[in-house]
Amino acid sequence: MRATFTRYLSRHPGAVIGLVLLGLQVIAILFAPWLTSYSPVEADPLASLEPPSLAHWFGTDVSGMDIYARVIYATRINLLISLTAVAVAFVIGVPVGLLIGFYRGGLSSLVMRVFDFIQSFPIFVLGMALVSVMGQEIWNVSIVLAVLFIPMFARVIRAEVLSLRERPFVAAARCSGATDFSIMFRHILPNALTPAIVQISISVGLAILLTAGLSFVGAGVRMPTPEWGLMVSSGAQQMILGVWWVSLFPGLAIVIAVLSFALIGDMAKDLSDPTTRDRR
Amino acid sequence: MRAPNAAPLLAVDNLSVDFGEGSPKALSGVSFELRRDEVLGIVGETGAGKSVLARSLLDLLPEGGRIVEGDIRLDGASVLGLSETEQGKLRGARIALIGTNAKALLDPVATVGAQIARVLRAHRACGRREAWAAAVDLLAQVGIVNPERRAKAYPHELSGGMAQRVVIAMAMVANPDIVLADDATLGLDATIQVQVLDLLVKRCRELGAGVVLITHDLGIIAHYCDRVAIMKGGRIFELGEVGRFLEGPRDDYSRTLLDAARVRPTPMAGQGEGGGVTDEAHAKPLLDVRRLEKFFPIAGSTEVVRAIDDVSFSVGRGETLALVGESGSGKTTVGQCLVRLLECDGGGITFDGVDITDMPAKEFRPLRRRLQMVFQEPYVALNPRWPVRALIAEPLRLDPGLDAKGREHRVRQLLDLVHLPLSLAEAYPHELTAGEQKRIGIARALATGPDFVVFDEPTTALDIRVRAQIIDLVRDLQAEIGMSALFITHDLNSVRSLAHNVAVMRHGKIVEYGETEAIFAHPTQDYTRMLLSAELPIEQGLLQRDRAEARRLAGTA
Repeated sequence: MRATFTRYLSRHPGAVIGLVLLGLQVIAILFAPWLTSYSPVEADPLASLEPPSLAHWFGTDVSGMDIYARVIYATRINLLISLTAVAVAFVIGVPVGLLIGFYRGGLSSLVMRVFDFIQSFPIFVLGMALVSVMGQEIWNVSIVLAVLFIPMFARVIRAEVLSLRERPFVAAARCSGATDFSIMFRHILPNALTPAIVQISISVGLAILLTAGLSFVGAGVRMPTPEWGLMVSSGAQQMILGVWWVSLFPGLAIVIAVLSFALIGDMAKDLSDPTTRDRR
Repeated sequence: MRAPNAAPLLAVDNLSVDFGEGSPKALSGVSFELRRDEVLGIVGETGAGKSVLARSLLDLLPEGGRIVEGDIRLDGASVLGLSETEQGKLRGARIALIGTNAKALLDPVATVGAQIARVLRAHRACGRREAWAAAVDLLAQVGIVNPERRAKAYPHELSGGMAQRVVIAMAMVANPDIVLADDATLGLDATIQVQVLDLLVKRCRELGAGVVLITHDLGIIAHYCDRVAIMKGGRIFELGEVGRFLEGPRDDYSRTLLDAARVRPTPMAGQGEGGGVTDEAHAKPLLDVRRLEKFFPIAGSTEVVRAIDDVSFSVGRGETLALVGESGSGKTTVGQCLVRLLECDGGGITFDGVDITDMPAKEFRPLRRRLQMVFQEPYVALNPRWPVRALIAEPLRLDPGLDAKGREHRVRQLLDLVHLPLSLAEAYPHELTAGEQKRIGIARALATGPDFVVFDEPTTALDIRVRAQIIDLVRDLQAEIGMSALFITHDLNSVRSLAHNVAVMRHGKIVEYGETEAIFAHPTQDYTRMLLSAELPIEQGLLQRDRAEARRLAGTA
């Protein structure tokens, strides 16, 4: 297994880049206090909107907070929100998709209609409603995102299951005495998982962008909490005045995070499938 | 010595192909010539490099493949140095490829008429309407009934034989000089196969094109080809006139191949004592099927397809019944009803005295240990994510007396039983050859030591030698463990050495049912006679012999 992994990495430079970028984020999360001497939430009105310099590597924003420190600290919050949201959605959405794909009946259609409802609802209205009920907490942002992502995972899995359940190997397994449970979880699920794995990387990227959007409409995290999307939107007003650094650096951080998960998603997809594992 | 008009149309000179540095060569030093109005057969088992050869001629090698040595000349001019555009002009216009599985080669979202018209317009300037009329005309030429209506059909609405005809029509559009047919009739019913090949060879003869027929069926070679090349491991082992090859191959490998193909199934030994078994078996058959019915609804209609229409038969202990029929005759549906993959709509199935027709799935599960099935297509019936070890161990879970260690032991026994090396235990299905996959399927079915096994097309699409091995294997197993079997096949001849009884099925009904030898000796139905005559004997037909004679005379004149 380790040999396969090493060989895979040697043939796929993209996967190596993905792992390196993920490593950078892990370092930012673990060692944030050692990477910067500034506090991410301390305003310094005298140093408002300073361009990048030796003192402030990425410059400062309108309230004089150090952007470098904020970008580093925001990694914690952003990854926390997106990873919990995606993990919750995956853990709930995948089995639900498997069940409604395998057993088709009234209950399954009902679940699908609920998904239709969730997905047709404007996300920001949903976000604001939930946050106003539960309070403006980071966790609530995660829950909102998870609710939104569950149908996505369930749908991709269901679509796969619908075609897989008709495949001859399922009939063969039934002849070999496999129970419904075994057919679902041991036969169909491993074959259906690939698009869901790809969906993970897409969702992590989407989660970061949606967190930003929710913060922008006031249903997400509040200033001065360091959060990339919030930082981008707060810098947007100054952008036309030539103050580019306020939005650019958190924007780059989003790019790095989304890119790393996309690359790792590709790798996980290849490695999870024995028919592509050894292909160059 | 050679007449000037016999200058080679296609000359392949010392061609070598590999897939990347250091990998074994897929082709090594292949040389042959193809003349006008000649049919060259290329025979070899799976992995012999036949398809790689065909693809390298068209410069359509799969990714990573490259020609490392040698030359391909068309009318004396090398084609290897040509640009991509020039190559494109060559493909279709001068060299046409007809592949296996015609349905997959056709675009599923366009009507076949439109697809042929598209090819026409790619090769010569003509208007839409004109191209469509020409397409309909071509369909008529390849013997499609009602071509105007069929031109508007989508590929999924055609049968395999019809789709193959469409592909042939497309290949012939630009009057190519060379036609490469790569296992063009694989998977078609024997009766259809003859029709399609007759058509292909006839059309090529009319056009004076050279044909390369790639196949693993020596009957096809004997029947249609002028010369034959035997391939193995990327080399040509023997190349010569078909007549001379059939009289006596020079090479050892070709001889093995020819001998394996020539082995005629021996009639069941000991029919006398077998008769005793049959009487006893008839008294209390292991499996008894009475007036079985299965209907499938037709979408958007109240009519139904009567897939199984009043079918009755019984199989005694240690007895084998062959269920023979062309595709679409409902034979596979019968097999699926027996193992309860499908619920039947009428009639009853009794297994060992127990009525299993409407038995709840939970009660039936323990019985699966005794009633197993080998699936038709070996690759798709194996879970691609499971290694061989897990695949074979799966049915062993039906046996509560076996622990993990016992299962492991049994897996090794089973691999041995189907003559597969233990090293394959960790392999995944896509890493196996079709023959190996088939054996895994058999090992799975036999894992629990069943009393009754349904074999669905156990030998189709397999190499000659592998086919013989599989039949031997099944016969040995039956002698050893005395199980009963239902053999579902479209090839009546292959069951002669296996089956005690034969049931011939057509349109969901059994049209003829009786002892194997009786049916072979005196078939009462025309349909049975047609099935019996569909397999091509491995000897040259009169017509071919005359052609060979004429060529010999022309060559020496």
